Amino acid sequence: MPSFVDLHVLPHVDDIKSCRQIAQTLALAGYSMIGLTVPTGLFHDRLAEVRRTFSDYDVETVTRVDFASRSRGELLRSLRKFRTVFDIVAVKCLNDHVAHVACRDRRVDLVFFELENPKVRLTHAMANMLRGCIELNMAPVILRTGAVYGTVSRQFVLAKEHSVKVVLSSGLDRAELVRSPIQMVALAATLGLPRIEAVKGITSIPMSAVETNLKKRSPDYIEEGVRVVQRKPR
Amino acid sequence: MPRRYLLVKVLADESVTEDQFRDILTGAVRKSFGEIGYARIDPKLVRFDSKRSTAIVACKPSMVSELEAALSLICGGEKAPMAPLVLQVSGTIKGLQKRLN
Repeated sequence: MPSFVDLHVLPHVDDIKSCRQIAQTLALAGYSMIGLTVPTGLFHDRLAEVRRTFSDYDVETVTRVDFASRSRGELLRSLRKFRTVFDIVAVKCLNDHVAHVACRDRRVDLVFFELENPKVRLTHAMANMLRGCIELNMAPVILRTGAVYGTVSRQFVLAKEHSVKVVLSSGLDRAELVRSPIQMVALAATLGLPRIEAVKGITSIPMSAVETNLKKRSPDYIEEGVRVVQRKPR
Repeated sequence: MPRRYLLVKVLADESVTEDQFRDILTGAVRKSFGEIGYARIDPKLVRFDSKRSTAIVACKPSMVSELEAALSLICGGEKAPMAPLVLQVSGTIKGLQKRLN
């Protein structure tokens, strides 16, 4: 059985009871790994406690940060400061300037758009230069806030046209928004993503993003194509 | 007529009865795919265990994906939040009973 990954879980870090509920539901749904989206200034002990809560239910966690920058400079500063701290870096595109920078920058793993905002959307130009993956959060689709179905379908069409990798995530902040991998794939397939791509978007694509970043964050990593194979004994 | 069976776990704060779930299910399919879609999917609540909050729902084999999508879009609103999780799909009820037991 493949391991299912949900890279966008936003638990209320101060509410351990809610975290436990989310963890329990995710485990029941069949997820083995999640991207724990936490604030950049979160204390280490609190983060450790939240991660422990998830690991109690056999759900592995990786840390993730969402940048919702208003300007290019702000985004670049945030990337410089936090890229090495988190396993996954995602950018919520609030305007076109930020979206273009996020799509071009190789430090960005995931790019996602506010589905309710019709002004900022994935364009051909952005899809063409996107280095990471485009992420689709299912929570706004489930909650049907606004006419999001059309926006989602359009993103899928553009992704297919430009061979962009699509990651399917939940973007949930409470247990009621958890959906099983079967449902995530079905929902994406119904909205226009080919079924095979939808399955990859919840298994191999997010997993490879995590593995690549973990490799990069290991002390043996020097740069792309260069790593330490053996250290001189002291 | 061949059917596909879905094992659904209903997560809700308040307990849900069989009739309530049937209404929610038909409402969700109708809302998402319309009357024609409803006829094509042909969803049927086969079994409902209110103690375990599990249900077995049947549909036409070619329309499983649509039924799964319709089930995903059920959220119950702010007052009575609900999450139906599709845990398994099988060609027989017996196959799902194994998972239940």
